[in-house]
Amino acid sequence: METFVLNLFNGLSWGMLLFLISIGLTIIFGVLGVLNFAHGSFFMLGAYLCMQFMNLVKSFWIGIIIGPILVAILGLVVERFLLRKIYDRDISFQLLLTFAILLVLDDAVRLIWGPGYYVVEPPLILSGVINVFNHTYPVYRLFLIIIGPLIGLSLLMFFKFTKYGKMIRASALDKEMAEGVGINVSFVFTSVFAFGTWLSALGGALAAPHQSLAPSMGERIIIESFIVVVVGGFGSFTGAFVGAMFIGLLESFGTVFAGRLQMALPYILLILILIVRPTGLFKKGT
Amino acid sequence: MSKVRNVLLMTIIFLLSVAVMSFAAKPIKIGYVYIMSGPFSTYGQFAKQGAELAIEEINKNGGILGRPVKGYFEDSTGKPDVALRAIRKLVYQEKVDILIGLDSSGVAKTVVPSIPKMKTPLIITHAATPDVTGKLCNKYVFRISLNLAQNVKAAATLASQMDAKKWTTVGPDYAFGHQSWEYFKKYLKQMKPDVEFFSDSEVAFPPFKTTDFSSYITKIMNSNPDGVFISLWGGNLIDFVRQAKEMGFFNGKYKVLMSLGAATEVLTALGDKMPDGIWVGTRYWFLANNSELNRKFVKSYYDKYGAYPSYNAHGAYAATYAFKKAAEKAGTTNKMAVIKALEGLKIELPAGMVEIRAEDHQAITDAHWGQTFHLKELPLSILAPVKVFDGIGVTRPIEETECRMK
Repeated sequence: METFVLNLFNGLSWGMLLFLISIGLTIIFGVLGVLNFAHGSFFMLGAYLCMQFMNLVKSFWIGIIIGPILVAILGLVVERFLLRKIYDRDISFQLLLTFAILLVLDDAVRLIWGPGYYVVEPPLILSGVINVFNHTYPVYRLFLIIIGPLIGLSLLMFFKFTKYGKMIRASALDKEMAEGVGINVSFVFTSVFAFGTWLSALGGALAAPHQSLAPSMGERIIIESFIVVVVGGFGSFTGAFVGAMFIGLLESFGTVFAGRLQMALPYILLILILIVRPTGLFKKGT
Repeated sequence: MSKVRNVLLMTIIFLLSVAVMSFAAKPIKIGYVYIMSGPFSTYGQFAKQGAELAIEEINKNGGILGRPVKGYFEDSTGKPDVALRAIRKLVYQEKVDILIGLDSSGVAKTVVPSIPKMKTPLIITHAATPDVTGKLCNKYVFRISLNLAQNVKAAATLASQMDAKKWTTVGPDYAFGHQSWEYFKKYLKQMKPDVEFFSDSEVAFPPFKTTDFSSYITKIMNSNPDGVFISLWGGNLIDFVRQAKEMGFFNGKYKVLMSLGAATEVLTALGDKMPDGIWVGTRYWFLANNSELNRKFVKSYYDKYGAYPSYNAHGAYAATYAFKKAAEKAGTTNKMAVIKALEGLKIELPAGMVEIRAEDHQAITDAHWGQTFHLKELPLSILAPVKVFDGIGVTRPIEETECRMK
């Protein structure tokens, strides 16, 4: 029982981080149709900038607010001056461009912060441990488990009930029609890209107290996020959430029950999904 | 007409400058191959810093045999095929005089058998698999640093003195992690026959890309061992230590040994989050050797990069100087002569006196283990006390290495 609960917590907290980065990826794909390889680099940048501002003003919360906003501004610039130029071209241009951005950002991080590792402390209020069945368990991980669904829920409300959310959904469904009814689609695209970037950077900032920072830390998580997005269904909101939880739990329980097969489980799942249900568990447009 | 004259003039100037350049001493070329990108690029960057410091010092002091030294750096990305391509490029295109590098045991195992075809000596500075100076050994391949068997033998010696009977492991899921565990089991069993080891399904080998170790930590803690031998390194080790600490892993229930825990980059990143009193090992510890040479190395490294040298920085630095000494001993950079000179070479390095054993080309060098101790004045935990395991004592005798030099 205690093992079960611990593994449940382990899986859920990891899944929440995966969710935050996957949701940005999936929104950007859903609306702009862009497969953004640089997404993991924004995640990394979010973590580094959070650390930077946290050290500057000695507050984790300031870091977590300012860091992702700065990355979102960078995302805005990237969309406005780079991505926009290639929307009409072949998809391979997108892949090359976003991959190039990834390489540039990796090197930039190495130049600014050096090649070494960094660790970030969680804020005091979240830094302790609590007792779970005679095991100590970090509060910060429980915080992740709670914050994930909260962010997910507020996003869902935003897309369902606000006017702007509806505009975004309309632009995603039919660009020409949306323009026809007077929606400024190019503005919507820019803001969605910046918003997706912000989510990824927020994921990075939240992950910072939990994993070490090093150049290229985004490359590791991007692969898993892509698996989440494919499993959940490209562009699907619910899919990203369910997919992320699924992968998180699969990895934590896999460690116990699958032995060395554990590392292959996400890929096996990916292959199964691609064969049985290529659109993913949830269809696009929810 | 004047156009033709211009072209003619340019050509003459070009030819002249080429001629002048070839009069100047041709640089000696050293090819370095390390992981320069991806999650473990930290190691390549440190190696590059160590190498560049050595080259700078050597060139300031008149080069090697009166010729300046030039370094060529290539990215192995940690993948065997990429590393091999990088090495081919260095040998055939850049025409380097010697190769230095290799971070991963997996890479080394693939690359080493191909080196004789390229007829260029290679000094391995990081990859620790015993096989490259064991059953895969060949005339062209040397290693300047501790191998895993040496390091783990020291670990087993420590473990044998502890009152822990049941041992388990957490290690990276590739050659290094698995071999470390095998050697640990073998040596510890020899030293203390009544120990037990957990079966393969109970130990934990998280994949390289893992950042969340919680499920592995839970698994190890639930299996209730007396001692845990950890061979994780780099970012993996940092993540593991932090997450394990929060989950109560270091509360004193188990004896813990970390085979590469005393890497400066790991200790610096962890700062005061590194639990005190943990036994950690390393290939080079910047405070272990109080020689003038080491003090000078640590100081010039710190002045140049603002950090204490890691074992990988030391490895690249050491190999560059070992090549210098070999070339000077041979009086030439002829590759076969350098190989002969490297065999049995004795050299003082920042780590101490090192001998490259002629029979298997493995460096006989001391292994360092110590208990972590955090000082407020320093950004990283130091080792106090430090135990130095004599090089000869931890090195496998030639008969055990399975090396048949060809």
